[in-house]
Parts: sequence; structure tokens; C-alpha cells
Amino acid sequence: MPQLNPAPWFSIMVMTWLTLALLIQPKLLTFTTTNPPSKKPSLITKPTPWAWPWT
Amino acid sequence: MNLSFFDQFSSPHLLGHPLILLSLLLPALLFPSPGNRWINNRLSTIQLWLLHLITKQLMIPLNKNGHKWALMLTSLMTMLLTINLLGLLPYTFTPTTQLSMNMALAFPLWLATLLTGLRNKPSASLAHLLPEGTPTPLIPALILIETTSLLIRPLALGVRLTANLTAGHLLIQLISTASIALKPILPTVSILTMAILLLLTILEVAVAMIQAYVFVLLLSLYLQENI
Repeated sequence: MPQLNPAPWFSIMVMTWLTLALLIQPKLLTFTTTNPPSKKPSLITKPTPWAWPWT
Repeated sequence: MNLSFFDQFSSPHLLGHPLILLSLLLPALLFPSPGNRWINNRLSTIQLWLLHLITKQLMIPLNKNGHKWALMLTSLMTMLLTINLLGLLPYTFTPTTQLSMNMALAFPLWLATLLTGLRNKPSASLAHLLPEGTPTPLIPALILIETTSLLIRPLALGVRLTANLTAGHLLIQLISTASIALKPILPTVSILTMAILLLLTILEVAVAMIQAYVFVLLLSLYLQENI
């Protein structure tokens, strides 16, 4: 059964860990989760106008 | 003839180069690395949803200290999942059927969980060697048994993944061979065998996903004991 043959085990291990650490992990890190959609209307701020002192 | 069914598991070479490298690297292409300025599309949304779900499921039983492992466990799950699923395509090679690859993943990660426990809270992780409320005469035997079960974990982890995927691929090949061989003699039985093959393929897709999840889930359970 060839799948039990550990022949190039070191290169397989190095390749597996390099793929995991250098390819998959940086890829997953770039995914940014968004907030779940909410029904609440976003708060609208109404700034009160003011007069500049020099006008 | 007896051995030829296992030939699908031998690592293929092309011009002296092992193709296992390609089959390790290619599944990563399924996941893009979206930049900040990317517009969401359906694919990236569903991938994001899946990653979020996996991370949430894995992190729920762990306490706050274990959440540092989120990236490690989620990326391991993603890698195993993509390799397992792409390996189900016909005429492809599945690296996760190789015992050496699974042990290369299982052993260091198991050792990491163990060393984390022994470094941060040695007495609590050593206390797992004896279940609470054991009768006194049983204590030496139980400690021996629990030590063995602790040390056998990485082996079980690697062999589980190998055995499940190997068995699935073998069954698919056996049934499809039977279906081809029966076609000239018993067409009806051959069609029935094809139906079974279809059902088996659905089962194998499920097994590919479940085994990737089980591998990571067991690692997170070992982590939970030690953190």
C-alpha cells in the first residue's frame, strides 16, 4: 500500500507546513468579516449651525 | 491485480518531479486574497460566511486563551477541506491519503497543544492523566492507560484521516470497476451499480468535509484540555 510508505516524509512535511503558513494563512487573514445587517436605521446626526465670531 | 487498486495512492512523478507539490499548492487557488478595495461578490461572500462559521464553531468551546489558535485551526481546516474535495475529482491525486502528510500535520500540532498545557498550567494538564473519583487500587493502572491514550493521539489523528479517505477512494474505484465490468454481461445490474456509485460519491463528498472538520475539532478538543 503506497499511501503508507513514508518515503519523502521530510519534504512532504516541509511543503505542507510552508503551504499552510505562507499561502493559506495570509489568504485567510485578508478576509475581513462585515457586520451582520441590522434593521435599525443608522443614527442621523444633525449638527447645529453656529456663527463665526469674526463675521 | 490485487495491488493495482492501490496504485492510485502512489505519489505521481512527472520527469522526476513529485506532483504532490502541485496538488498541495493548487487547492489554495480556490481562495482569493481579497484586498481592501475589492467589491464583494457572491463567491467571496459565501467564503467569508463559511470561514466565519468554521471559526465560530471551533472557538465556542475554547476559552479566551485558546482564541489565539483561531487562524491556525481555521486555515488548517480550509487546507484539509480543499485538498479533500479536490481529491475527489477523477484522475487527481489526494495528498491527504498519504500517511506521511497527515502525521506531519498531526504530530507537531498535538505536541504544540501538549507543550502549551505543560508550560502554562502543568498541574492542570497532568491532572488529566487521572479521572476524578477513581478508586485507589485502580490508580496506577489508570494512569498507565491514560498516558498511553495521550501518547497515541497523534497517531490516531493521522491514521483516521488516511484510513477514511483511502477507504472512500477504494470503494469508489471498486464500484466503478464493477460497473464497467458488468456492462456487457448484465446491463441492468450495471445501471444499478452506477446508481450506487452516484450515492457513494455523494457520501464521499460528505466524508471529505466531515473528516477535515473532525481533524480540526479533535485538535481543538486537545487544546481545550491544555489551555
